[in-house]
Amino acid sequence: MKQMKLFLGPQHPGMHGNASVHMYVDGDIIKRSYLLPGMLHRGFEKGMERKLWVNNISLIPRVCVPEPDINEMAFAQAAEALLGLEVPERTHWIRMIILELARISSHLMSYGGLGGPTGHYTLMYHAHADRNTILDIFEKITGARVYHQYIVIGGVRKDLPEGIETDINAFLDDLESRYIEYRDLGIENPSVIKRIKDTIMLPAAVVWELGVTGIGMRSSVNRPYDIRKVMPYARYDQVEFEVPISDYSDARSRVDLKLKEVVQSISIIRQCLKKMPEGPVRVKPSRGQSMRWTVPAGYVYSPVESSRGEFGYYMVSNGGTTPYRVGVRGASYPQGLLGIEKYLPGNRIDDAALWVDTMGVCSPEIDR
Amino acid sequence: MTNSMNNVEFVKALVAKNIEPVKTETIGKYQVAFEVRKNDVHHILVALKNAGWIQLSYLSAIDWPEENHFELVYIVMNWEKPVYVQIRAKIQRDDPVIDSVLPIYPGAKYYERECHEFFGVKFPGNPDYEKQLILENWDDIPPLRKDFDPEAYSDRKFPKRVYTTDYSVTNDKDSKLKKREQRIARALSLRGGKKQ
Repeated sequence: MKQMKLFLGPQHPGMHGNASVHMYVDGDIIKRSYLLPGMLHRGFEKGMERKLWVNNISLIPRVCVPEPDINEMAFAQAAEALLGLEVPERTHWIRMIILELARISSHLMSYGGLGGPTGHYTLMYHAHADRNTILDIFEKITGARVYHQYIVIGGVRKDLPEGIETDINAFLDDLESRYIEYRDLGIENPSVIKRIKDTIMLPAAVVWELGVTGIGMRSSVNRPYDIRKVMPYARYDQVEFEVPISDYSDARSRVDLKLKEVVQSISIIRQCLKKMPEGPVRVKPSRGQSMRWTVPAGYVYSPVESSRGEFGYYMVSNGGTTPYRVGVRGASYPQGLLGIEKYLPGNRIDDAALWVDTMGVCSPEIDR
Repeated sequence: MTNSMNNVEFVKALVAKNIEPVKTETIGKYQVAFEVRKNDVHHILVALKNAGWIQLSYLSAIDWPEENHFELVYIVMNWEKPVYVQIRAKIQRDDPVIDSVLPIYPGAKYYERECHEFFGVKFPGNPDYEKQLILENWDDIPPLRKDFDPEAYSDRKFPKRVYTTDYSVTNDKDSKLKKREQRIARALSLRGGKKQ
């Protein structure tokens, strides 16, 4: 038996982000594998300790590239918890709109990413075209396409521009009208089904062993374990939505849940636009000008449900003008590092890219 | 999903039954923190896991050089009784060793490895905590310790480059600052109304 070493990534159509999966293969069965992270950036946590509270807003969205807003939300929430700050009512609703748009864009990107490993590029082009529309909307709201720096401590940077509801509604209607088409292109497509059905199984016992959260967990344990549901932040307790679940977790059922979540997000955004009250959107978190803001001493962990699972910031303050320690709990930590090491062996080479795509592995948040 | 305040009380009772925490803090509706002694960490984590806190969400350390200790933090989560429990324990900074929690939470493997890489905490019991993960060929003290200065490290590691061409601004006409000052002066001169 002869083993050979193969690299998946960092440059590979099936690999998302700048990480590399090292695989020792025999034939086309993986015998041993591990992830090699650290190719994009490092030292963010150290960088955050050296920046002021207000400066950090420009650094944190870089921790996760496809869905930067969750970082801003987790950071702002943690600082507000330490400050004991109540943000204005309208802010919560704006934040929810931003977070759900980001979730749709992240799901579209990963659903389109399914086109790479399965050789079905039409899907990718469609998904990225729709994602582009979301980025246009973000540009109108925040002024930036990818790193918005919009959710700040004490609220959001600016109120929504006038007439943005029309844009958002037009986009949501358009996306919803083509939902069936999306399913047909991807998970209902016979040639794709052959690749994703009954591959990369994830039994419930493995979920608890690895500590996988998010879609990976919900697709397997058949319970609505979503932070938005079990411990609602912002105003998620005042909107109606379902958490799609399943009890059989293969690559297809996980992608299926992603699409169902997109439908739920669309419904949440519509409810937010309807229920959103008028009012101010930002309060000053502390006394004096922004360079002198301090946050009271304390320890807090602030979790947010990202498109890949539980994403959190562990924040320690000693009462100074900078955070004392910021720890980032990347949502793709369990499935990206331990999952690839423990449960990828035994699968075929071409399934490695499907693991990375359907489990949601975002390499920047492993590097940080 | 039961009432969240009852869950916090439940955790407090559970911890009090098993060990004697040094400090207890309630952070919001869904979070509670305990500072425990180093020897109680494994005991309380086993008790929490048996009670349903089966997910290890985060494991890391905090450096307090003035008090000369590291503070380890374990965050565990129970999805049926949604409360995050922070367990914090102080260990000596000179000899940072704590037994691995790998037998209790298998998911801790890479967290411990990262903690060793960034803080130098040793985790006997974890088979490959000493392997390098993100930092390649690191040759200094662990970087997330407070006494590590990135600027000094960078100056030492990457010496100042000697430029063959001198790009510094000598002529005032090319100076961006001068140009900016001129622009502001011109804008002020054009402005009507009362001069400030």
